[in-house]
Amino acid sequence: MGARIERQGDLVQGTLDMLVLKALARGAKHGYAVAEWIHESSNDVLYVEEGALYPALHRLELRGLLSAEWGSSENNRRAKFYSLTAAGRKKLTEEAEYWRRMSGAIARVMQTA
Amino acid sequence: MNICVRAKALFRRKQLEKDLDEELAFHLAMREAKKRAAGIAAEEAKYAARRQFGNATRVKESCREMWSFASLETFWRDLRYGARALAKNPGFTVVAVVAIALGIGVNTGIFSVLNGVALRLLPIPRAEQIVSVDQIFHGKLSRNVHGEPGLFSYSEYKNYRDHNHVFTGLLAYEPFLEATLAGESPKQLMGTAASCNYFDVLGERPGLGRVFVDADCSAPGASAVVVLSDGLWRSRFGADPLIVGTRVSLNRAKFTVIGVAAPGFGGLDPWPSEFWAPLTMQKALEPDRDFFHEDNTGWLAMLGRIQGGVSIEEVRSGLRVIAGQIDQQYPGRTTTLVIHRATFLGRPEERTVVFRIGAVVLAAVGLVLLIACANVANLLLARAAARQKEIVIRLSIGGSRWQIVRQLLTESLLISFLGGTLGSLVTFWSIEGITRVVLAHLPHGAPRLVWNVNPDLRVWGYSLVLTALTGIVFGLAPALHATRQDLSTSIKGDGGGLIGKAAVGGMLRSALVGVQVAVCMVLLVAAGLLMRGLYVAQTINPGFEMKGITQAIFDLPSQGYNEERARVFQRELMARVAALPGVDAVEQARVTPLSHQFEGTGMTVAGETQEQMFEFNVVSPGFFAMLGMPIVRGRAFTEADIQSDANVLVVTESTAGRVWPEQDAIGKLLREGKKEYQVVGVVKDSQVSHLGQPGGMFFYMPAGPKEQARLQLLVHGQSGDTATANGIRESARALDPDLIVDVTRLEDNLELWRTPSRIAATLSGVLGALALLLASVGVHGVVSYGVSQRIREIGIRMTLGADGKDVMRLLLRQAMRPVLIGAAVGVAGCAAVSQILSKVLYGIGSHDPTAFIGVPAFLLGIAFLASYIPARRATRVDPVVALRYE
Repeated sequence: MGARIERQGDLVQGTLDMLVLKALARGAKHGYAVAEWIHESSNDVLYVEEGALYPALHRLELRGLLSAEWGSSENNRRAKFYSLTAAGRKKLTEEAEYWRRMSGAIARVMQTA
Repeated sequence: MNICVRAKALFRRKQLEKDLDEELAFHLAMREAKKRAAGIAAEEAKYAARRQFGNATRVKESCREMWSFASLETFWRDLRYGARALAKNPGFTVVAVVAIALGIGVNTGIFSVLNGVALRLLPIPRAEQIVSVDQIFHGKLSRNVHGEPGLFSYSEYKNYRDHNHVFTGLLAYEPFLEATLAGESPKQLMGTAASCNYFDVLGERPGLGRVFVDADCSAPGASAVVVLSDGLWRSRFGADPLIVGTRVSLNRAKFTVIGVAAPGFGGLDPWPSEFWAPLTMQKALEPDRDFFHEDNTGWLAMLGRIQGGVSIEEVRSGLRVIAGQIDQQYPGRTTTLVIHRATFLGRPEERTVVFRIGAVVLAAVGLVLLIACANVANLLLARAAARQKEIVIRLSIGGSRWQIVRQLLTESLLISFLGGTLGSLVTFWSIEGITRVVLAHLPHGAPRLVWNVNPDLRVWGYSLVLTALTGIVFGLAPALHATRQDLSTSIKGDGGGLIGKAAVGGMLRSALVGVQVAVCMVLLVAAGLLMRGLYVAQTINPGFEMKGITQAIFDLPSQGYNEERARVFQRELMARVAALPGVDAVEQARVTPLSHQFEGTGMTVAGETQEQMFEFNVVSPGFFAMLGMPIVRGRAFTEADIQSDANVLVVTESTAGRVWPEQDAIGKLLREGKKEYQVVGVVKDSQVSHLGQPGGMFFYMPAGPKEQARLQLLVHGQSGDTATANGIRESARALDPDLIVDVTRLEDNLELWRTPSRIAATLSGVLGALALLLASVGVHGVVSYGVSQRIREIGIRMTLGADGKDVMRLLLRQAMRPVLIGAAVGVAGCAAVSQILSKVLYGIGSHDPTAFIGVPAFLLGIAFLASYIPARRATRVDPVVALRYE
């Protein structure tokens, strides 16, 4: 389980973590913004299953890949902001590289007639 | 793994729960707002947001679980796994646990004694508020001391008491006060003269009657009242409920009992006080001294209870001001105050001694624990080698190195906690009994001490920290070592990696054996030196005769004798004792030899200005002859010297040599104040004052008429000691039935001198034996393991024609190399240790050959035996079996 592509079943397992890390690469966001960012940057293709997002955020925080801080949101409510730690940034690079190779390989496989 | 976050999670669950709720609520609110912005009705938007979110309770549940159980769960898993691993190998587990139990047990025991002696706060209510105040003087100084140099005079006490702003109360008491309680059989008591706020400041309430009020201290001698200890009330007065109001006689002064202290309260020193009298009654208890009016005599210990909210630093700075004001009365003198939380033995001189001894003993038991650690580490290394496959597999299926190290460390900690618990429990259960036995067997003349060595929180904490440290110390190196392999080479089965590693492992193992042997050597040589010291102390010749001499010790001034009465008493007593059957000599001395009483004074050599410190004794003419101390020049004292109270001296040979080198001492003058003394004789050196130390500056004065009140008797008898002793007691009782006369053999004085070396030798002997046991188990284990690892190699060698002798030689050579290196290092370390020990041992050189040759030879012998037994097993291997091994 992870994010779901609209009307098209589950994403590859473990991808949600990568997407979350990527979402935070440009700076701190709260959970809602992470979900929205993934949705919007995928041109509304990917919907993050919100019930899975928060356990993922917490898991990444516990592993030391994210750090969390309470701050106030754009509409002035108290919100928990997540940001990448050094370890998280490193993890993101690794995951991105892995994803690049995997998706390239899959694409090549699918292209062979 | 983020330790901070996890720690926070453990301690702040409520907060996390709230945060989680708030975080999810925020998300729903944002979603709802978006839907409404898209034109959906309020009610509908809320519902849609919730629907899109899914099951919020389950989300929370899964987050919560992650926070609270993540760490605990892995810990439990590691623990269960470790317990299973230990249970699978019971032989190893038992040896390791017992080794650690011994190490931790000894350490905890010593620490709880040290804690009871000097770290534990006083056994009174809210003891953490009580501080002791002591002083150290610098600069030009002339001061009289009664007890210890850091004590205060009464006027100084009043100054501190009345001018400080940091205490709710400041008490003072005289710590070394003895008194004779009159009765059918008079009894010598330890007591306390205390300021009248004593019980109030301490917060001690009486068990019966009342304690002091201010009026009891209104004027010197005004209020002859006394509070008895619970113990004295029970043992001496049969717990008489009507004791209050009755009168008792202490040092022949009448005191009215006003109360009984609470059970268990014994004052502020480890020698329990049996009565308390107001400070103002000092002269009644000690008629020969009037400390009250001596402004420059230190005799009072001070303790204060700090006001709420005042820090100990503020106490220090507050009292420093007062000390500065007092110093102004004594030009050239500056006073430093030593202020800390009050404990037993808290005075600076006592602390120095206690902590110095404590440090040495703790270091020794620490070494024993180190040997135990090296032992267990070695066992773990051997086991890790056997578990190599398991570890490689775990690493290759993606276990991180940290995870495996953590797992292995959990196992070590399991061992250390099993051992630590076992050792500590045995110690806690036995230490009180051991201490009681030791204290009960102190020789005659030693103070009766009461120490609470029961473990308190500090001891528990110490043993807990020590146990955890131990587990990490012996577990970390093997765990890191076991996981340090290069994964790919191991998996590819590249033999090079494994062989290289085995060589490294072998070196680590050898190093551990070397450390064990070295540490064991230090402990054993120290034990050897101490035992030699004990032997020397037992057989030492103090340089004078003790055989057949009985000493009678009594204190006339405290019993109200003036000079005149004392003279009569001494004359009568000597006449009676001299008439006893078998008695052939009766002599007098202010201090009997080796009785731990020391008299000192400053004297100026004629023609010089600088004062020098001398020890001295006051003796009757026949003293030297009775003790067999030959006069080497001049003469001994004569009856005429005594009668005329002549200002003459006899000095020891080494004193004469030091003060008047290459001159004749006879006829020379020494000045004490305005009084001049002439040297009339030189006596041979002997150890009359300090056992093992001849040659201090020492002179004798004649026991003239003015000295009579302070003299003791020395009696030489032909008939048995017991008969003479009884005769002396009878004679004294006939003259004064209320006087306590302590009659013992002069030789008994040696016992108190020997006690420290006896205790040290026993302790070090036990520790040495323990160290030897652990180290030989260690050597044996390593050699056995080596043999079992190389059984194939041995088989091949033997097939190729090597005989048992060759194999034996090979194995022994390899086993003994780390032992020899360790032994050499150990002996070098011992040389340093013995420098320290030689300072406390009587007549023993720091390079005592018996200890330095005998002990290493013994240890090497044991190590050889420990290697020989498993090596012999190897030579009996059947080559065919060996080659099929594994």
